[in-house]
Amino acid sequence: MESITAYTVSVIITLICLFIAAVIANLIKFEGGSKPRDPRIRKVYFWVFCLINPILIFLLGFFVFMPDGNRRVIGNYMMALSIGTVLGFFLYILLGFILSRIFTNGKLGHWF
Amino acid sequence: MDKLFVIAVGGTGMRCLEAFTHLSAIGMFDSREIEILTLDTDQANGNKGRVEKLIQLYNRIKAGGTPNANTFFSSKLNLYRFYTNYSGQGRENYKNITRLNSGTPEQQRANKLISDLFLDNESVQEFDLSHGYRAQTHLGSMLMYHGMIEAARNIVRGTDIKVQERELDEFVTKLELAGQDARVFIFGSIFGGTGASSIPIIPKALQDFIKIRSKGASSIDFSKAKFGSTLLTEYFTFKKPNDKQKASKENSIIADASYFPLNSQAALQFYQSDPTVQLCYKMLYHIGWPVESKPVDNATDTNQTITGGATQENAAHITELLAACAAYDFFTRTSGLDVDKTEYVYKAVDFSNGAFSFSIHDFVGNANKAGERFANKIGALFSLAHISLTVNNAANGDAGIKGFITRCQEQKITQYNTITDAECDEINDYFKAFAYTFENTRFTPGWLYQVRSTVAPGTFIFDSKAFPDNLSELKKLDVGTIFLDEKNHWPKGGILANRYDSFIKKLINLGPEEDQQVNTTKEKFLAHIYNAITHSQGFHLI
Repeated sequence: MESITAYTVSVIITLICLFIAAVIANLIKFEGGSKPRDPRIRKVYFWVFCLINPILIFLLGFFVFMPDGNRRVIGNYMMALSIGTVLGFFLYILLGFILSRIFTNGKLGHWF
Repeated sequence: MDKLFVIAVGGTGMRCLEAFTHLSAIGMFDSREIEILTLDTDQANGNKGRVEKLIQLYNRIKAGGTPNANTFFSSKLNLYRFYTNYSGQGRENYKNITRLNSGTPEQQRANKLISDLFLDNESVQEFDLSHGYRAQTHLGSMLMYHGMIEAARNIVRGTDIKVQERELDEFVTKLELAGQDARVFIFGSIFGGTGASSIPIIPKALQDFIKIRSKGASSIDFSKAKFGSTLLTEYFTFKKPNDKQKASKENSIIADASYFPLNSQAALQFYQSDPTVQLCYKMLYHIGWPVESKPVDNATDTNQTITGGATQENAAHITELLAACAAYDFFTRTSGLDVDKTEYVYKAVDFSNGAFSFSIHDFVGNANKAGERFANKIGALFSLAHISLTVNNAANGDAGIKGFITRCQEQKITQYNTITDAECDEINDYFKAFAYTFENTRFTPGWLYQVRSTVAPGTFIFDSKAFPDNLSELKKLDVGTIFLDEKNHWPKGGILANRYDSFIKKLINLGPEEDQQVNTTKEKFLAHIYNAITHSQGFHLI
């Protein structure tokens, strides 16, 4: 049960981070000029959230969603949280890549 | 579909042709191939050089392409150049070219008598012809006709054919092949020298050219041929020549702008009564500037009147754009060309508070939303010029149109990657001629800026804010708001977006369409941008 909580937290926070990165990417305006900076800024925001995502998963999982229980329960939760943190990191990249390919000609296409 | 021919004569004719070329660039002559002949006595004339360079640049942009529809540079222009040669020995002035001093004494006496009857012996017969006919239209008509007939005879003889004669021959061959399906429009003034001399005689000279070359087997039937021209009366002035300048024989005759109104009146009377003109021309478009003419030589350092040559490079004027629009009307009209006698066409523009107010309907009319189509097209090219020169900073040597290719690459639209830097530079150069540029940090207005300045402070299609002339104002320019009417501004694009952002989104979502008939990569690229801009402008054309 506690494992499911940890994985759910990981997935939800990953989706929230991805959503925020997508919103920011769309808020950044297309620039004119020979060397527009907007594609690079979108990419930077994507990778910044990629790093924030596991940190947020772990911190929220540890301080907010930590279950009450004995050492075994806590141990199982921490194991699930650690795996969830790593999975969240890769899930963020995987979903970001898929979105980038789907909207390849748009602003999200700048992520990859 | 009729085949289109344009003949530009003299300095004013060249500037009308410049306006016509820009109309072609904005896409007013969709799917058409147009044969263009420049005709002058002054090979080195600055206006002639400028328009020929512009057409050559147009053709480099169009290289390998075909006529297209609903895009920039949609028509194909073929340029031919002919000039009467007054630079060789024995060809400098009337006396030499007509060999008044050759033949038997009796012939010499007869030739002198008839020359002196029509042409002043000391001045008109001896001024330097290489700078044009200097408002001596009675002399000019004869010499221009002679120049074209001389070319025909040289071609028949087949020896020592000059390049310009060969080009005239090619143009006339196409005209002859088109036969009754030819529409010929002639640009020139009726108040100056070369144009005023040539407009009355060109149809007849072309007819005789064909007759001589075909040894009488072919001709032009004026009852079926479709010739049109402008009756362009005085609209500019320049410094009056002083006695010091007129002291030399070669400058004894200099066009005097103070006589232009009188010249115009005399010419109009002539055109009204001359049976040859009435027979040859189906349509004459009466265009003028019924307020005080602006001087064209204020910016020049010299105190002397510029008679011609490379220094005669007058700025553009809105009447030349109206002359080009007259050609548009002549080429696109579906009725009124089967008349036996010349029809005169004219219209008026609102004039109030000391200035003209031009609306989008004052250029090509308003039938079938022609005014909206014109504004849509010229607005699209002006916006693109601003994006290239202002947003992408080509006016100061930055990437310009290349920035669009970079943008397409960033958006994973890679089909335009093969367009080279040199090709992008050519498009940028065209925009510099069309809108503006900076030369050593000095702002230099291009054609559209010059045209607009002749109307200011009156209204002219675009908001006056669309014409900034310094760097700080240019940087603040929103390229999506060039029109006076807000409904033609590009969409704002929602919260935290801007008009340019919404335009790029359109660019991403659109592409060239099949009915635009674009073939080369460059044509597809230009059609793609055309679609994005015209969709953004939101004109309702149906």
